[in-house]
Amino acid sequence: MDVDSLSVIKLKNILLVTVPDDPGDDTIHELQTKVLFAIEKYQSKGLILDISNVNILDSFFARTISETTQMVALMGGQTVIAGMQPCVAITATELGLHLGKAISTLDVDRALDIFTDNFKLV
Amino acid sequence: MGTQETGESPIKSEGDIVTCRKLIRIAATEAGFGMTDVTRIVTAVSELARNVYVHSGSDGVMRWQILSQPGQIGIELVFQDYGKGIPDIEQALEAGFTTAGTMGMGLSGVKRLMDEMDVKSEINVGTTVTVTKWGRAK
Repeated sequence: MDVDSLSVIKLKNILLVTVPDDPGDDTIHELQTKVLFAIEKYQSKGLILDISNVNILDSFFARTISETTQMVALMGGQTVIAGMQPCVAITATELGLHLGKAISTLDVDRALDIFTDNFKLV
Repeated sequence: MGTQETGESPIKSEGDIVTCRKLIRIAATEAGFGMTDVTRIVTAVSELARNVYVHSGSDGVMRWQILSQPGQIGIELVFQDYGKGIPDIEQALEAGFTTAGTMGMGLSGVKRLMDEMDVKSEINVGTTVTVTKWGRAK
């Protein structure tokens, strides 16, 4: 997976990032850096991480998502995790993973609703 | 049809973790495991392959074998390294135990995802983790 092909889309005050289906550790780490610099560049107030393509969430991935949420919060932003697959939710819970302070939604539409209704950002 | 019953894959780089996941996703799916079990198995592979790469300080290898018993399908996975070994296996199996600043869900979490787990380790000789998952044959 080439990290340059990861798209970070600016939507008004927030960023939308779609995580690839089976990302390696490198990809996940570089995604984190790319997102944080994009937040600075676009002065974004929120981040939607679309993980609907992701079919495996292990402890490294979960920790990076949790850390990214924390880093985005330090920069004044809110993170919403959108679209976790049922199998991934089952496995992550059995494995004992948590995503820290990130809010989760069923899909990107609902994530946008949260930014519109709760945070008045879109 | 086309199912590879056994195989092995080296674990020498971070990229090999992804390779192991892809191989076992195909093998477990072709063996007839459902989607949730495939996710459990692949997640266990990811944790154990990363253990070899991050903790052992040596190269390692993953071997797998498709098992079959009347009415059952199974997959056995062996992760072997030649690294520093685990001083206290019981402690390593406790939830929350970590030496690498991670969440510490590795071995104890893997045990919950799989049906059988066996850990053998010798200091400065290496560690072998064997896990098995069983499912109903279709």
